[in-house]
Amino acid sequence: MRVLVVHAHPVETSFNASLFRMTLDRLEANGHAVDPVDLYADGFNPVMSRDERLNYHDTGINRRPVETYVERLLLAEALVLVYPVWNYGFPAILKGWFDRVFLPGVSFGLVNGKVRPTLHNIGSILVVTSYGGSRFRTWLMGDPPRRIANRMLRATIRPGGRVTYLAHYEMNLSTTHTRQAFMTRVKHALDKI
Amino acid sequence: MRILVVYSHPVPESFCAAVRDTVVQTLERNGHQVDLMDLYAEGFDPVMPAEERRHYNEMKLADHPFPDHADRLRAAEGLLFVYPTWWYGLPAMLKGWLDRVWTPDLTFRIPDGPGPIEPLMTHVKLLGVITTCGAPRWWSYMVGHPGKRTILRGMRALCAKTCRRVFLAHYMMDKSTPRTRSDYLKRVEERLSNI
Repeated sequence: MRVLVVHAHPVETSFNASLFRMTLDRLEANGHAVDPVDLYADGFNPVMSRDERLNYHDTGINRRPVETYVERLLLAEALVLVYPVWNYGFPAILKGWFDRVFLPGVSFGLVNGKVRPTLHNIGSILVVTSYGGSRFRTWLMGDPPRRIANRMLRATIRPGGRVTYLAHYEMNLSTTHTRQAFMTRVKHALDKI
Repeated sequence: MRILVVYSHPVPESFCAAVRDTVVQTLERNGHQVDLMDLYAEGFDPVMPAEERRHYNEMKLADHPFPDHADRLRAAEGLLFVYPTWWYGLPAMLKGWLDRVWTPDLTFRIPDGPGPIEPLMTHVKLLGVITTCGAPRWWSYMVGHPGKRTILRGMRALCAKTCRRVFLAHYMMDKSTPRTRSDYLKRVEERLSNI
């Protein structure tokens, strides 16, 4: 299967970066065609410009500034996101990837002002993430990134598609044991793709 | 009240700019001191670089990457965010501002062991989100208003215990009319005259 793996962490020696590398290795070993997108390594600019905003609804030209990212998204059959949760959300570089690449005519169409999701080439999504806060505290805040995955992303991909959300909470208190246990969970989830 | 208005929209002639103007004018007319921060106009860079992330947990106020923004945040008694909701959340520009400016030792302190972080923004007694959404209201509630939650729950936990909240949204922007837009500006004006 063709799998797009999107990663957003600035530090190469971070736990998150090692999750990204493990994800690529595991998927390749399992015989998938893996397309890695490392947004920091790419120097991706997450800021939607004035022109992009003005051309947002013009499906003939709106994808031009991010054409290669759009092509790779549309070729993917599965999507894996590997990123840390910062301030109850995506790092800006990943939020901007959604803002700029998930465009009308790419991931959705507008019919009479209503959104019709169209990213039906993607049949499953796996989210691999880490939080500073505890699960309880995050739950109190409404866990925005989990909702984005389970509701927004689920509604965007092929109907009936699978969304799996794996999170290591309280990273500041993590130990070798908790990190290894999490990696094992991630491996099992990757083997199901 | 000293109110910091953080604004993020790429198009100077957008409806969101009109919302910003209504916010600023209403606050000033009611005797508040307004400090407007326009992230696009400043060319703020929302991407936290590797070096900053490496030292994030140990960061001290003296090493803050944006001392001017840190000072303005410390001076604020109220904080209002004016932005378009994109993918149910904050534009990357504004998300990155939270990531890079709301640092340890300025907005919170990380404890040495287990336990919650200690809030340091207790001088903020009013927190507001004034936004525009493409999605309808019911679907925004289904998705759970992630942007609103990020600010009005996540960031609020760092503010005064009694911090009041304001939330205003114009839903279904793609079907908006001059009437719905001017009604929304009126709602903004009425609500902010009353804080």
